[in-house]
Amino acid sequence: MASFTVVKKEDLDAELEKGPKCVLRGQTSDLGCLTRQDGSVSLSQGDTTSIAVVYGPAEVRINKEKIDRATVEVIYRPKIGLPRPNHRKQERIMRNTLEAAIAANLHPRSSISVVIQETEDLGSNLSCSINSACLALLDAAVSMNFMVASVTVAIKENSDMILDPTKRDETEAKSVLTYVFDSVNYQILTIVSCGKFSRSEHKKGLTLAREAAKSVFQFYRESMSKKLLMSE
Amino acid sequence: MRETPLSNCEREFILKNISQQRRLDGRNAYDYRDLRIAFGVSLGCCHVELGKTRVLAQVSCEVGEPKQTRPHDGVLYVNVELSPMACPSFEQGRQSEEGIELSRLMERCLKESRCLDMESLCIVSGEKAWHVRVDIHVLNHEGNILDCASIAAISALAHFRRPDVSVNGEEITIHTLEERNPVPLSLHHMPLLVSFTFFSQGKYMLVDPSSKEEKVMEGKMVVGMNKHRELCTLQVTGQMLLLKDQVLRCSSIALTKVTKITELIHQALDNDKQARSKGEKHGFAVLVSGDKVTANRLPKIEVNVEKFEDSDEMDEGQSCSDDADAQNGIEELEMQTEAAPRESAVEILTKGVGVIGEGGASTWLDIPQENTKQQAAKKRRYKSVAMEEGIGS
Amino acid sequence: MAEQFKMAQPKEYFKKFLENDIRPDNRELGEFRPTVLNIGCVSTAEGSALVKLGNTTVMCGVKAEVAQPDADKPKDGFLVPNVELSALCSPSFRPGPPGEQAQVLSQNMADLLQTSKCINLEDLCICPGKLVWVLHIDLVCLDYDGNVMDACTLALISALKNTSLPAVTVDEDTGDIKTDPTSLSNLPVSCCPVSTSFIIFDHNVLLVDPTNEEERLATGAVTVVVEGENLVSIYKPGGSALTDDQIETCIDRAVERSREASKLIKETLYSIDR
Repeated sequence: MASFTVVKKEDLDAELEKGPKCVLRGQTSDLGCLTRQDGSVSLSQGDTTSIAVVYGPAEVRINKEKIDRATVEVIYRPKIGLPRPNHRKQERIMRNTLEAAIAANLHPRSSISVVIQETEDLGSNLSCSINSACLALLDAAVSMNFMVASVTVAIKENSDMILDPTKRDETEAKSVLTYVFDSVNYQILTIVSCGKFSRSEHKKGLTLAREAAKSVFQFYRESMSKKLLMSE
Repeated sequence: MRETPLSNCEREFILKNISQQRRLDGRNAYDYRDLRIAFGVSLGCCHVELGKTRVLAQVSCEVGEPKQTRPHDGVLYVNVELSPMACPSFEQGRQSEEGIELSRLMERCLKESRCLDMESLCIVSGEKAWHVRVDIHVLNHEGNILDCASIAAISALAHFRRPDVSVNGEEITIHTLEERNPVPLSLHHMPLLVSFTFFSQGKYMLVDPSSKEEKVMEGKMVVGMNKHRELCTLQVTGQMLLLKDQVLRCSSIALTKVTKITELIHQALDNDKQARSKGEKHGFAVLVSGDKVTANRLPKIEVNVEKFEDSDEMDEGQSCSDDADAQNGIEELEMQTEAAPRESAVEILTKGVGVIGEGGASTWLDIPQENTKQQAAKKRRYKSVAMEEGIGS
Repeated sequence: MAEQFKMAQPKEYFKKFLENDIRPDNRELGEFRPTVLNIGCVSTAEGSALVKLGNTTVMCGVKAEVAQPDADKPKDGFLVPNVELSALCSPSFRPGPPGEQAQVLSQNMADLLQTSKCINLEDLCICPGKLVWVLHIDLVCLDYDGNVMDACTLALISALKNTSLPAVTVDEDTGDIKTDPTSLSNLPVSCCPVSTSFIIFDHNVLLVDPTNEEERLATGAVTVVVEGENLVSIYKPGGSALTDDQIETCIDRAVERSREASKLIKETLYSIDR
């Protein structure tokens, strides 16, 4: 099953003229966009959008209870069809990443669950999902060790780098790498790759992504401070 | 997570207000909440807000075999899922009673009303046909999911375009969107669901209930209707009895609501079409205004990339910490790799069985061909493990 | 005494060993367990391999079937890898539908086949638009002692290299399909990706080829798949943060391991042909 997007020829030509792109697409966030949850956010990166919500810390089902820390659950909901094994893999990646970020030992015997709904996948979807989950956790005021920011880099056949690729860039690229960094030392939390690449390309992509991640963190800070000034 | 129940006094308060013709959010009995319809960048993606209730619908399609009983028709699937996204009491993967009722009503509204021309979805009779799927995601549950979902689903179907197909003898070509303009689905009419809730033995009736009103209602009537006054479905549930003229009154209210909403849908479709043809920005990202305190906007940023051309410089420029522990860790492993330059030789034990590496626990030593020397070596190793353990304690 | 110490404070027990740069099973930090590879052990399958990585055992069988291709890709066959972590391999798995770990492993195998492009899907075509091969690649874990990912990849690639498909003829008039089991042709496998897994212990120490015990104590994991000098995938799903240098170290070790393992596969295959 598939849905389609229309890309205008003029837009495409205009994009091609610009050459290799090291531009992070425009981002928007809407914190607390839903009402029934403890934290919610709708995040867009370019045309890719996703909604993430957080419940917790709340009661945990007895078979999932951990006595020394909170149980972190992540549910990823694709827009089309039922969740498939590749979504399970994505869920696992996100859960492991968020588990490292959330200060789970502060809330033993409770659950923190994150639900992420894909609303529009037009490139760098995993990054958008992880970033929205992080913002939703911030919105729900869950205690965290650090924030996480994810950036996707696509590598073209001629080893040009495209930062924050669109869907079209992703299909044309020979490989797509998604990195997640922490906000303290900008160390590597997660790497997921798709497609072959060389070591030097990996190094290049990593530096580029790390630089871009800093602006994502800046965006988090701006969004949060804008929201919190209101409640004072 | 369990749903927080409504307290008795809250319940009484709401009911008392209803009997005095008042609603919690200040609406009149027959008023809908504000309705907003928005379309995404991809075709057939529709997002509907009814007050704070939010529903997302996405239509998708693929080529497949038609059903054997209806070889000239395409197939339509409707999938409604209530996930924990919308409300903490919904569970992932398990359909609640509420969920089943919802998806059944949606199926009746979309499939059994025959609003979609199924024969136009056929490519080769009996062999190939389009399978169209409508996925409905409830994002936020603030009451009256049903009406909201039906608006989202029908708008998404109207917005969707499928790739063009040409049949040449036996060969079927699916044209990409660049080659040929995509084709809209042919919709005969737009059926919409309108729910009515009843209180105090049907004495009071409300349109578009909020989630709290749904909790105290006695019964519910759902009318499925299009703007041509044709009824598609009618369902009454709950512990109450209705009079004939109540039903008639509901259906006439439903008609005015349906006409208004259909108009809104067409307007939204037109707006989207215009925005697309003008090449303006469209999709969900545009909807977020930076004016709100909770919303934020960041224009696109050029990322400085001078650094990575020179690898030496890069190493210096790295923002990694000089965490002593981390450094230790690297050294430890590096030391190990240096200390153990093992390009271990492959040993072929028998036809089709090869071994490399040694060390570590393996209780699988009963390969008869394995030479005694290696076994002896391994036994020695076990012994030293035991010794190590002794030291460890 | 040692047993009690291990039971009560597994992490401390482990640290004591690491102080001396050794692991409880007498391995160094960067050392793999003995790898035993048996190719062609299942005679009823089109291709098979058994891998022992220490105590971890994975059996892989390739079964071929014919099917109709997808309408939009009339020439492409299908590869369907499936990893089964059955209840017999470890007490931590229950019988029934596959759990999350098994699903993720299956997905990893599918991703590996797709990104390494070691099999050209068009090689599986019998008759364009009508008939293609479907290769069901079943990986069954018989004994779970950590690092199933590496064992699975090795078994998968070896079994594919061992796979031979019978010639198929389609009767033009009746549309009957005939297979000729006497004329077998080898499935072309263009490359040999090798995966190397690490765990992160106590947020900073990297250990290669972890056992089950080590995996349980891990604060993170990294898997690097290498093919020759090129990287096929780096998979680090969350866990403790690593520095760039640590990732580089992992890649170095993976390249080294890849050389060893591809030699193992090559020589073992060669020993069958003899």
